[in-house]
Amino acid sequence: MSIFEYNGSALVAMVGKNCFAIASDRRLGVQLQTIATDFQKIYKIHDKLFIGLAGLATDTQTLYQRLVFRHKLYQLREERDMKPETFASLVSALLYEKRFGPYFCQPVIAGLGDEDKPFICTMDSIGAKELAKDFVVAGTASESLYGACESMFKPDMEAEELFETISQALLSSVDRDCLSGWGGHVYLVTPTEVTERILKGRMD
Amino acid sequence: MTKQQANWSPYDNNGGTCVAIAGADYCVIAADTRMSTGYNILTRDYSKIIQLADKSVMASSGFQADVRALQKVLAARHLIYQHQHNKQMSCPAMAQLLSNTLYYKRFFPYYAFNVLGGLDSEGKGCVFTYDAVGSYERVGYSSQGSGSTLITPFLDNQLKSPSPLLLPAKDAVTPLSESEAIDLVKTCFASATERDIYTGDKLEIVILNASGLRREYMELRKD
Repeated sequence: MSIFEYNGSALVAMVGKNCFAIASDRRLGVQLQTIATDFQKIYKIHDKLFIGLAGLATDTQTLYQRLVFRHKLYQLREERDMKPETFASLVSALLYEKRFGPYFCQPVIAGLGDEDKPFICTMDSIGAKELAKDFVVAGTASESLYGACESMFKPDMEAEELFETISQALLSSVDRDCLSGWGGHVYLVTPTEVTERILKGRMD
Repeated sequence: MTKQQANWSPYDNNGGTCVAIAGADYCVIAADTRMSTGYNILTRDYSKIIQLADKSVMASSGFQADVRALQKVLAARHLIYQHQHNKQMSCPAMAQLLSNTLYYKRFFPYYAFNVLGGLDSEGKGCVFTYDAVGSYERVGYSSQGSGSTLITPFLDNQLKSPSPLLLPAKDAVTPLSESEAIDLVKTCFASATERDIYTGDKLEIVILNASGLRREYMELRKD
């Protein structure tokens, strides 16, 4: 089994009209055994910037801790929050630092940039950025997520419709992946508010 | 001196995706027409679908040389059946034959991933899905091949028919109409073509119903 498939994860972020949604599954496993069914994979950096981390759980937690450290320093020096594009470059740089002994993580970054324009991107474990205008996926369920998102996505969806779409895409995809599931965690972010919702899905 | 390993494989994967959906009185079987090897395209116009009997149509992805050989064996066995029984094989019977034929080569398998679609003896749609060595199951819908991991979750979501993942096993057919099922198949392939490099060029759709067999084609992205 690949090291990326040790814990299991499913992550997806989608762009809507002046909003974005980022969603993950809730399972933490050790190969075939499930250890936790409420494991957090999406972290808030600031009100308009979220990062989801797929892959080996120990590396995702360590990487998150380093990123929070770096962002807090940035806030102290610049007296403002980091823009999503800048944050993505930071994540990419941190990952590439470990080019010959990488973190086994795949990040999904979603935020609202200048003028509240939605920004999403993903990268591989050594920091190769992939910017997308529609959606990005990561984790053991990524192939299923590609198929589901490609069929269900429409540009410029409003917040409620975006929530429905990302939830359906996530739930149908994790139902076909043994290593992810046990419900879903969806963050729906608009310029004025952040809504966090738990999805109930197949608990297996 | 380390032991020498064989670097020649008798198998190759020609890629491609197949889908079949069973309805109340119809069955839709579809496959793309791209044949590839590695990163190259061999042809954009290769049919993976064959009609084995009046009411049985098989679509196969995988190693097309093995698929061709398998099709020949099944066609020959069907001809013998017709001579001996003076009638066409029913779809469930063909399903069992396919399973047995695949298992016959358990220790040097046909590298073929099959879906068999057709109408059962009551005229209801039926779809059977197989692995390479003949394990099979009657289902309401199925997808095999390189794009199957992209398509299957979407079908689970859209078909509103009991998923094969449910227990106890429920009656399989989808309540969708024939034209809705065809549109769904077209959407599936358009999406799979975007994200799977081995799927594309053209989509061939075969529809079986009480009036017989009909074929439709749709262009797909060629990149």
